[in-house]
Amino acid sequence: METLLLIVRNLKARPVRSLLTLLGILVATASMVLFLSFGEGLRKALSAEMTKFGPQIRVVAEGTGTFGVPNPELGPEVLKTLKAHADELGIARLFPAAVMMKGSGFDPATTFLFYGLPEGITPKDLAPAAKVVAGRLDPHPDGAVVGKQKAEQSRLTLGKTLRLSRKIAIPIVGIVDAGSGFANSFIFVPMQAVQKALNTTNYSVILVYVKEGFAADEVAEKIEARVPGVDAQSTTEAVKYAERAIRIGDVIRFGISLIALIVGGLLVANTVMMSVYERIREFGVMRAIGARRGFIFRLVLFEALLLALSGGALGVGVGIAGSQVVNLYTTHAVGLALSAVTPRLVLFAMLVAVTLGLVAGVIPARVASRISVIEALGRV
Amino acid sequence: MKKPILQAKNLTKRYRQGEAWIEALKGFTYDFPPGVTAVVGPSGSGKTTLLNLLAGFDTPTEGEAYLAGNPLHALGEDERAGVRLLHAGFVFQSWNLLPTLTALENVAFPMLLKGVPAKARTERARALLAEVGLSHREDHFPRQLSGGEQQRVAIARALALDPLVLFADEPTGNLDSAAGKRVLELLLRQARGERRVVLVTHDPEVAARAERILRLKDGALIEIQERP
Repeated sequence: METLLLIVRNLKARPVRSLLTLLGILVATASMVLFLSFGEGLRKALSAEMTKFGPQIRVVAEGTGTFGVPNPELGPEVLKTLKAHADELGIARLFPAAVMMKGSGFDPATTFLFYGLPEGITPKDLAPAAKVVAGRLDPHPDGAVVGKQKAEQSRLTLGKTLRLSRKIAIPIVGIVDAGSGFANSFIFVPMQAVQKALNTTNYSVILVYVKEGFAADEVAEKIEARVPGVDAQSTTEAVKYAERAIRIGDVIRFGISLIALIVGGLLVANTVMMSVYERIREFGVMRAIGARRGFIFRLVLFEALLLALSGGALGVGVGIAGSQVVNLYTTHAVGLALSAVTPRLVLFAMLVAVTLGLVAGVIPARVASRISVIEALGRV
Repeated sequence: MKKPILQAKNLTKRYRQGEAWIEALKGFTYDFPPGVTAVVGPSGSGKTTLLNLLAGFDTPTEGEAYLAGNPLHALGEDERAGVRLLHAGFVFQSWNLLPTLTALENVAFPMLLKGVPAKARTERARALLAEVGLSHREDHFPRQLSGGEQQRVAIARALALDPLVLFADEPTGNLDSAAGKRVLELLLRQARGERRVVLVTHDPEVAARAERILRLKDGALIEIQERP
């Protein structure tokens, strides 16, 4: 306890320097927490999305990326084959959709994803939790139902007209809260309208509900074996794929934040080293009185540790606040909270801070503990 | 056989200075009896070197030094620190209090190192500060105290673990005569029972108060003067 008091008093004796060091570690830890929170957020958002999405398998043309917008390359025969073998494949129900993207693709406000649903299918078949916010749920026969997120983002209201092509314009007849970030950014329209705009009778995707007792992964494999030229992507497979991508992202983000962390560590080392040199006489007195090397080693090491720990804790706090600011933006922009500070991330950040303190403190602690009494007290 | 409390046998220290060897202390032999022993001599006579060796701050080139029966010459640095903690107290010329601790905490510091429980530490530190007349300064930091007061706190700290040997190196050197006198009286009062007080000084008036005077010159003990 008194050792802690000695450390705190020493840090308080040099307030500006201690504060600047603390700030350095704070910024380093906060940036690391914020960087890594994207990976955690993506994981959380993704698993939440998958549970909100109704169909367990999406069948697309071979070569379509797991999260890509599929081209209308599935002919009617694919649907026919799947329907014919539904029982044997383990398919409970299925329906096709035609998808079309208009706009830049970069700015969510000016990007429009038209999701063409066949007759009898409503957004509820895609996202079972879907609720009407205004107007109606079913886009048929000739309306557009806009996801809540999309409506807010692009200021779309009932009665406004959306243009799929030069010849095809559809009035907005409903605003829907699909309960999921992805589906809330869609504009649901009759499938025929999309097919007409794309000048095709093909489908972009066939969405499949798996029969009870069947595993989505196995059904997907069977579909691929039965129908040549298609990819059957199950949601679990998509999660696995995304997890791999997120993990790679994590490593890259940690690598970037490592630079900030190393700078933070050097700051601590510099502060503690300077403090050691300034206190050589003090350590000499302690040794003269009878302090063992270990006592002085711990005193200096704990000083570094305390700086790193408090900077780390404050950094985690700032990281959490930063993550909430990021989420405010991403929720507005894409309907997903992309950043999450999970307990394991907090633990990891604190572990990194402790390691930082230990590594930064070892050399100054060693120097301090090896000070010669007669040199320190000028008794040579 | 009785263990030597403070004894030097043929204590010698040689330093290398460039190409030459300087003999700072030449074969010093003495068994300090209880009471106050003053070590005097001009600058460079080896007083500080002698104290460094007797306290175990440094190791001799040759010879033996015993503190509370422990052969300092044969011990490692940490072991010597342990012996100092338990058996020796120090009062330096420039006070050397820890600047971030209050007077009370400074006095309690050696007890903290020894692992004395907090309550007992505070009680003893309070009593010691009362003994040196500084009860009203307990919560003051060294920078808030006068030189004389700092030196009295240093004396209280030196007595914290009731040492067998009290080393005082020019304890009045940086003080005005009134403060110096008070500090000296306080130090002399500590020579009780088996305790040895070693007073290094070049002030003849201070030395005159000791029970015996060891005179050093060019690193050698040239005279032992017993006072009646």
